Amino acid sequence: MKPRCPEYVKESMDPEQVEHCIRDKFGESVLSLELRERNGGKNNEVSYRDLWISVDKSRFLDLVDALRELDFLHFHIMSGDDTGKYVQLNYHFSLFRCAGRGKRLGITVTVDVPKTDLVMPSLWGRIPGTEYSEREIREMLGVDFDGLPNKNLIFLPEDWNEEIKPWRRDETGPKPEDIRELS
Amino acid sequence: MAEEVNKTYKVPIGPVHVGLKEPITAWLDVDGERIVKATIRPGAIHRGIEFMARDRNPIQIIYLAERICGICSFTHIVAFVRAVEDAAKIEVPARAQYIRTLVLELERIHSHILWAGVACYTFGYDSAFHLGMILREKVMDVLEALSGNRVNYGTGTVGGVRRDITPSVDKALRDMIVFYKSEFGVFYDVVMEDPIAKARMRNVGVLSREDAVTNCALGPTARGSGLRVDLRWSAPYEAYCDMDIKPVVPQDHVGEVHGDVFDRFLVRVLEVYQSIKIIENVLAGLPTGALMWESKLPKLLRHLKQAEGTGWGIVEGPRGDDSHILRLTAEKENITWWKVRAPTYANAVSWPIMFKDNELADAPLIINSIDPCISCMERMVVTDRSSGSEQIVTKNDLLRLCREKTGRVMGA
Repeated sequence: MKPRCPEYVKESMDPEQVEHCIRDKFGESVLSLELRERNGGKNNEVSYRDLWISVDKSRFLDLVDALRELDFLHFHIMSGDDTGKYVQLNYHFSLFRCAGRGKRLGITVTVDVPKTDLVMPSLWGRIPGTEYSEREIREMLGVDFDGLPNKNLIFLPEDWNEEIKPWRRDETGPKPEDIRELS
Repeated sequence: MAEEVNKTYKVPIGPVHVGLKEPITAWLDVDGERIVKATIRPGAIHRGIEFMARDRNPIQIIYLAERICGICSFTHIVAFVRAVEDAAKIEVPARAQYIRTLVLELERIHSHILWAGVACYTFGYDSAFHLGMILREKVMDVLEALSGNRVNYGTGTVGGVRRDITPSVDKALRDMIVFYKSEFGVFYDVVMEDPIAKARMRNVGVLSREDAVTNCALGPTARGSGLRVDLRWSAPYEAYCDMDIKPVVPQDHVGEVHGDVFDRFLVRVLEVYQSIKIIENVLAGLPTGALMWESKLPKLLRHLKQAEGTGWGIVEGPRGDDSHILRLTAEKENITWWKVRAPTYANAVSWPIMFKDNELADAPLIINSIDPCISCMERMVVTDRSSGSEQIVTKNDLLRLCREKTGRVMGA
């Protein structure tokens, strides 16, 4: 599937508008929403904004598609952590990369993936640039991505025991005997 | 097997050399000299830095972050400390912001000149390579005067910087600006006006605008494809907030975009001029005042221990934007997790597209064009699948192929 809009928009929306748009569309499914200002320069003025969204897993794809209506959603990276019952994933995106000085809006979408069902829909069909990151999260945290064509290891060695997930903190994580201290 | 017509060979480039920062393997399917398909496999030297960091506090991680990359080490530090400052709500004094900007730009000049020189070397233009190395020494001298080191400057810290611009550093900087203004133009002319250099780089390793968007290309790689993207402009930070910086794109300078190696070269060379201008602005507008938000380390560590939150630091490095994200948990001395996304991570996704339908002799140039570590190509194995024979091709052989092509272009 080719992305619908392989070009960046020239006209940006205000971050507040984006925030309202998401609140209106997703209501209760958005678990938290924070618009953070980043300051800088001699007068310490607001130079750009980041939007931090936490969303229910069932509405994740809808949220991504809603954001894609606004601009081509530029993907930076996915970060994640094992929080106990969940593996928490943070997708880091940008909107309005090309729309003018100080217009870029950083967007982080946080999803809790329950350990009983460690599967996320792959964004590869929408944003091909997500491939490496999805493969990394798959091998490091054990979250599978439905729709990702290439699920080979990416950073771990070829002969890695795939039952060990390096970033997990439970029984699937590395045990003390798996870790070699160098000093 | 002998009558097989469309026979392709699989050529792995890379990955191993112990001293590398970003080694990567590229499996190239070649039909004669033409590259049909490319597959990338990174990870040969994944050091688990993010895992190691879980046992360290933010100040200790600065030194780990600095060692992610030898060339854009300060870029990584600034991205990291900005993530900490975001999570722990720390404001950086204006003078420190300006000094950070200054070192970021010095690093960009260093990286771009080194890259341009090595690119010339790759296609056999040795005199331009040596000229580039001579030019680069000047900025290295300034970095040494500022920090005492030629790489890994130890200049950044959470909430500020650890080195000031003293009168002697100021003089070294002004000398450097005068030097580059008179000497860098020579380098620009010898490469940009040279028909052979143009022939070797034009229409090689093309990345179209659409592919650059969908594959999330960054920095000079994206700008070389005509995308007006630059965080110093679209999301200004530090002293860039007080400056009007325009992304450098080929269409503004030569009127057209090809998205090839030549355009990436052009963007980097022009960005050196832009960086010199920014350094002049920094020196002209350098505010007075403190260098750090909190100079007493135990106090700073106490504040960081109490902080709770996730922070995202993103800066425009020489190769593209560099993201650091981390989580601080209250009452925990060490960070909870940390994620680093260096620009090559994103730009390498575009390699297979750039390789397609190019000649094997252009492979070193294409790999080089996104500015990864060229030494990745220490060694490669050519496998003839039909006969099952294997032949080791060294980096020197590959370089010879690339240089011989220049000879052919010149009609020698």
